[in-house]
Amino acid sequence: MSARLDATRVLLRIAFRNLVASRVRTVIIGLIVLVGALIVVVGASLMESIDRGMRTSIQGSLGGQLQVYQSTSEGQLELYGGLRGESLLDPIPDFARVKKVLSKVPNVKTIVPMGIDQALVATGNAFDVTLERLRADVRRLQANPRDGEARRGLEARQAHVRRLIALLDQDLRQAQVLADPDGRDAALRKAQRADLDRAAAPEFWPAFERDRLAGLEFLENKIAPLALDSGFTFIRYVGTDVEAFMKAFDLAEVAEGKPIPPGRRGILLGKQYAEEWLKLKNARRLDQIKDKRDRFHARIASSEELQRWVKDTRSRAREILIQLDPLQAAEAERRLRPALKAPQGEELPALLARLFDLDDANFDDHYRIFYEQLAPLLRLYQISVGDTITIKAPGKTGAFNAVNVKVYGFIQFKGIEKSGIAGTTSVMDLQSFRDLYGYVTRDKAEELAKLRAQMGATTVSREEAEAALFGGGASAPLVETTRTAAIDDASLLAGVGEKRKAAQALETRAYTQEEIDGGVALNAAILLDDPSRIRESQAAVQAAADAAGLKLKVVDWETASGMVGQFVLLLRGILVFALVVFFGVALVIINNAMVMAALQRVKEVGTMRAIGAQRRFVVAMLLVEIVAVSLVFGVAGAALGGGVVAIIRAAGGIPATTDLLFFLFSGPALLPHLGVASVAASLILVVAVAIASALYPALIAMRVTPVEAMSMED
Amino acid sequence: MHRLLAALLLLAAAAPARAAAPDPGTPAGLTALVKLIDDRQRNQGDWKALCYLEAKEKGKTDVVSELLVFRRDADDKQLFLFTKPKAEAGKGYLRIEKNLWMYDPATGRWERRTERERIGGTDTRRGDLDESKLADEYDAAYVGVEPLGKYQAWHLSLKAKAGVDVAFPQVELWVDQASQNILKRQEVALSGRLMRTAYYPRWKKVHSPSKGGEVWFPEEMRFFDEIEKGNSTLVLIKEIDLRPLEANLFTKAWLEARSR
Repeated sequence: MSARLDATRVLLRIAFRNLVASRVRTVIIGLIVLVGALIVVVGASLMESIDRGMRTSIQGSLGGQLQVYQSTSEGQLELYGGLRGESLLDPIPDFARVKKVLSKVPNVKTIVPMGIDQALVATGNAFDVTLERLRADVRRLQANPRDGEARRGLEARQAHVRRLIALLDQDLRQAQVLADPDGRDAALRKAQRADLDRAAAPEFWPAFERDRLAGLEFLENKIAPLALDSGFTFIRYVGTDVEAFMKAFDLAEVAEGKPIPPGRRGILLGKQYAEEWLKLKNARRLDQIKDKRDRFHARIASSEELQRWVKDTRSRAREILIQLDPLQAAEAERRLRPALKAPQGEELPALLARLFDLDDANFDDHYRIFYEQLAPLLRLYQISVGDTITIKAPGKTGAFNAVNVKVYGFIQFKGIEKSGIAGTTSVMDLQSFRDLYGYVTRDKAEELAKLRAQMGATTVSREEAEAALFGGGASAPLVETTRTAAIDDASLLAGVGEKRKAAQALETRAYTQEEIDGGVALNAAILLDDPSRIRESQAAVQAAADAAGLKLKVVDWETASGMVGQFVLLLRGILVFALVVFFGVALVIINNAMVMAALQRVKEVGTMRAIGAQRRFVVAMLLVEIVAVSLVFGVAGAALGGGVVAIIRAAGGIPATTDLLFFLFSGPALLPHLGVASVAASLILVVAVAIASALYPALIAMRVTPVEAMSMED
Repeated sequence: MHRLLAALLLLAAAAPARAAAPDPGTPAGLTALVKLIDDRQRNQGDWKALCYLEAKEKGKTDVVSELLVFRRDADDKQLFLFTKPKAEAGKGYLRIEKNLWMYDPATGRWERRTERERIGGTDTRRGDLDESKLADEYDAAYVGVEPLGKYQAWHLSLKAKAGVDVAFPQVELWVDQASQNILKRQEVALSGRLMRTAYYPRWKKVHSPSKGGEVWFPEEMRFFDEIEKGNSTLVLIKEIDLRPLEANLFTKAWLEARSR
């Protein structure tokens, strides 16, 4: 025992003497090990933090721990949208049965039905929206000519339309200055000019009062199309049992407005969606400039991006002019003149130009003036809390389906409020989703088959079309004589009058839990009592679904997150690849250094062998040297890595500069966490690589015999 | 849905009484034939038709519906009003010149549809919604007589005139020699790629009391998408009513009143 201790002591003394004697070599190998340990510690800490952030974001927003969807689906579940945008999932025909079966699986806490899809929200161009309101006033006055409120509304709207016409007139005149008077569209432009002149003429509005409906038709079909702004926006939503959803997903919170009352139809618009797509563009740009200045310390003078945004803001002032009716415009002038220290008499277009002439010196002031003075007069969002909006989507029967839903509020997910990935998702009731989805029930399928049979429709393929339609076997003659029919459209449209009333009744109806559960869903989130037992529960849920004959596929949250999950896999892959390359190079360098060292010490090794040292002793000597170097520098590297992590944390973390990063970091910055596991892993890895690179030199040294050593010349 | 409307708009207009057969082999005859084809898609009266539509799209459920089509050629207005299935009944598309409005009785809302705002995946094309102006927009060439099943058809090749903005730079037509009705139409892209083929295998003629003559309409139309193979549309005109329509029929107020 003591002999072994003596041997170890000698071994260590020789090893350390060698390390000190060959300082340069020791430092080179040590630095390589140090950098390797540092990379592993920092990389592993970042990856672990991203993993944790992503888990929080996905599990807390839409994913839960597990997801189920119909196994016959053509596509895979992608909670945050795939490349094609539209959902490629087959429907789960009866969610109630899925809920009943899976609720009994141990560790399953909640099952939340979902239907994630995209739809269109008609926002109309400013002209169309104003004319729609004018038409509503006209309708109300038709129903009750003494309706004072409708009369006042009509007058205010008329004033607004007059203003819009004046602005359009300016635009068209500017466009015509640039246009070729004899160009291809000359006749069209002439007709447009005539229409606009008619609308702008003083006698238009007295004529409008004599026949309001005809006046509206003229404005809607001749004037409004000249205003070329966009009329709709896309919305990504999850149709769900809203009450269960809000309870299950702890990150979800109503940012503005109130929750949808239990069982009722309604929508909570994604707050970030509202910011990006529904907010007045100039207000959005101002927010973005402020964010860049405050969080990233960017400056207009030096940032090309901010300069572009400022330019964009200047050019969009017209959107504000369009929004304001004459009274509001006058009020805006009254407020802006003193705030901007503008000369008396300066009109709104000039005042807006002054307001949006932004630089680093005036930005904060002008931002405040915009929100304090101008914003209260504006409709900042195209859709406000309390509005009822029409959402349209292509249904599974091919036709477009539309539903009216009330906007109860804006929803956001705590920590990832600014993420465009989760934050743009709106939450809607399941019944409205089902109406939009238009699932082909057995009744609907029978109705379509009956209609097809009644009409005598036959199927002809493209390949056989000419033979079937014009060949000798074609059943009917090419030309037949018939009589004019007397089509009774009233009887064909019987019952249509009830549709609006039925739809309005649904808007205020509260659905029971059985009604919410009993129908189609596209997928369902499963939340577990103990999330750490996810693998075991995934297998149990799959087994229960299979046993009950439910054609379900069970996936974990990471798989369900689709492209987002794949991105993290990619990040992980890049880190591993970088480490493999780094350690591959390190292995070669250390190996070379050690081979050189072994060759330099042939005499010494030979002498040791001659005085009785075993080969084992020689190998151990070299390994002790390399292990000592890698441990000392590895610990130093890990400590340095820990220091880097601490510095990053102290500096507030790595800022999330994009939507995806916001989501992955589960917040505005990534705060890496130094884990014991990552430190231990870094040490094991660097020592293992160092030992591997020392094996060959050790083999060379082991083969040295005293005779060879003595035969060597100095 | 636009796809279906496009199909209907293409040839659903009743055509005037047939003229003496022109000979496309001569330049004058060729011009006369193309003008005749334009005329057959132009009409000076009112009509309404009860139609059946069936659209097949690969990987999707067939769209099947019955609808009423109202048209007033005098001021280029159209209304499409769905009657079946139940879920679609009352939905309407009102076309006034370049404006296309969509109405849904369940929401009580109008929505403007324009070329810019068309919904992805539909194959409405610029030009589908305009009246036929083949003679104005294309230079026709006579290719020859070709058999089409048991019929003998004149094959005409139409190339867009320089400077004219059309949806398809080339259109191929096969016109029945005996009746001068279009049997087949193919639309070709600038690259020479065939985009869409249409067949009109059955025509009907009906006596119009208001015009004191016959008008023609294709009873069956089949459209095959040549790019998305497997996508096709069938249109059947089941009944046609040539009585004058109400004066205010092509207004939002008229359509709204149907669902009140």
